[in-house]
Amino acid sequence: MSKLKQALESGRFVVTGEIGPPKGVDLDKCLQDAQMLREHVTAINVTDLQSAVLRIGSLAVSARLIERGLEPVYQLTCRDRNRLALQSDLLSAWSLGIENVLCITGDHPILGDHSEAKPVYDLDSVQLLKAASTLNQGHDMAGHELESAPSFFLGAVVTPAAEPLEPQIIKMKKKIEAGAKFFQTQAIYEPEKFEQFMSRIQGYKVPVIAGIVILKSAAMAKFMNANVAGISVPESIIREMEETAKEDRRKKAVELAARIIRQVEPFCQGVHIMPLGWDELVPEIISEVGVIP
Amino acid sequence: MHATIQKPIDEILGYLKPDERVFVVGCGNCAAKCHSGGEPETQEMAERLKRKGIKVAGWSCTDSGVSLCKLSIVKKMLNEEHKKESEQADSFLILACGQGIHTVMDATDGGMVHPGCDTIFGGETVNDDFITEYCSLCGECIVEYTGGLCPVTLCAKGLLNGPCGGAKDGKCEVDRNRDCGWQLIYDRLIALGRLDEMEKYKMPKNNSKWSRPRSLAIGEGEATFKSLSGERKVASHA
Repeated sequence: MSKLKQALESGRFVVTGEIGPPKGVDLDKCLQDAQMLREHVTAINVTDLQSAVLRIGSLAVSARLIERGLEPVYQLTCRDRNRLALQSDLLSAWSLGIENVLCITGDHPILGDHSEAKPVYDLDSVQLLKAASTLNQGHDMAGHELESAPSFFLGAVVTPAAEPLEPQIIKMKKKIEAGAKFFQTQAIYEPEKFEQFMSRIQGYKVPVIAGIVILKSAAMAKFMNANVAGISVPESIIREMEETAKEDRRKKAVELAARIIRQVEPFCQGVHIMPLGWDELVPEIISEVGVIP
Repeated sequence: MHATIQKPIDEILGYLKPDERVFVVGCGNCAAKCHSGGEPETQEMAERLKRKGIKVAGWSCTDSGVSLCKLSIVKKMLNEEHKKESEQADSFLILACGQGIHTVMDATDGGMVHPGCDTIFGGETVNDDFITEYCSLCGECIVEYTGGLCPVTLCAKGLLNGPCGGAKDGKCEVDRNRDCGWQLIYDRLIALGRLDEMEKYKMPKNNSKWSRPRSLAIGEGEATFKSLSGERKVASHA
């Protein structure tokens, strides 16, 4: 049974990590990154053609994690597959030992490196969750019986700092009704806002794992503020980063991430750390916070 | 309205073989409104081709407000009014949408056709110089539940159950100058006091209704829509 599911159901505070599959066939670096997370996280998200850039698939990389005794959260986007392919990939995933699936919309192809690709979105994320739940119940989404059924632990995403927030909350509720059993969020930099979000969704009774993106520099913060939806790094953090000498930035990054984790910890069921290349900092962050996975 | 834009002249010239005699056809309705194939543009195209050394058999455009995509009209125009030039032509260059191109092919008994325009979308003529797309012709209208605004068309991903996480300040991730379709729907549902519609689950689309080519047969008191979803007979209310 999924360790992530067990941990969340037991009410334990969980830590999840993330790896991005490479553009190519050599998985050494990516598997080393995963290895580095082994002792510190319950499960590792494997992104699905993140930023709509062609890479090796999340299915293959998730399977390679399982071979190494690591638990993946298989990310599956609606961008590139129609309902046949999505359901088939889900069945394939189960046959490879994958239990946790994060159902997401996916960045539009225009943002990636194949901007002329046909955007599929045959299903949206709510419909994908419903389709996956239906597979769990032994049927495909057209109502036909499966010879044998999977038992996925299904997750979804939400953006707590979205403006306006209400459409996100409406969609979150639909995702829960469609079968989402846990949520991972967009990066949190404003714990107070996150607390407000959590109090609004208190009645939903679903575990929320707060997203933590390791901040590498003030420039990165400014870039995200200008370009990334649902991320807003406050001026005070940007200033703190600016006042940090270059050689101390890694230390500062650890301190910042640990501080945010401590601030959000009382309101949520875990944190999802997205290292974006600084994977070696994750153990330090975890030990600084003192969270035991 | 089928919006069209003229292809670059060099692309059109590339279609024509040496010594090919071409007849230029325009549309007095949509292409005229888009200034891509109305009477002045059709005449102008004929002149430009001549200047480039192309043999032009003649040119013609349907009357103002009259669509090229009606077979009887094009038959009359090419087989009666311009019979001689039409017969002399080796091919037809059509300054209209793809429906117009096929109509000319039908009217000329399978004549050789060249597209002079790219058909870009079906849209609303907001005013004389602005046309924009509000409908994707999907065969299954759902705007009752979205305040009259189509998410299939206005959302870059065609999402049916609410916005993705990509909108920033109400603008879409594909272009920060473009409104997020779901922001527009959300604002409109609030204004209408119908936000409860957004909370309801929307089923995936039946893409077989969107399968091409589709047809509509209009009979006495009844019309029949054919697509891969099957035949759908509907009563017409005269």
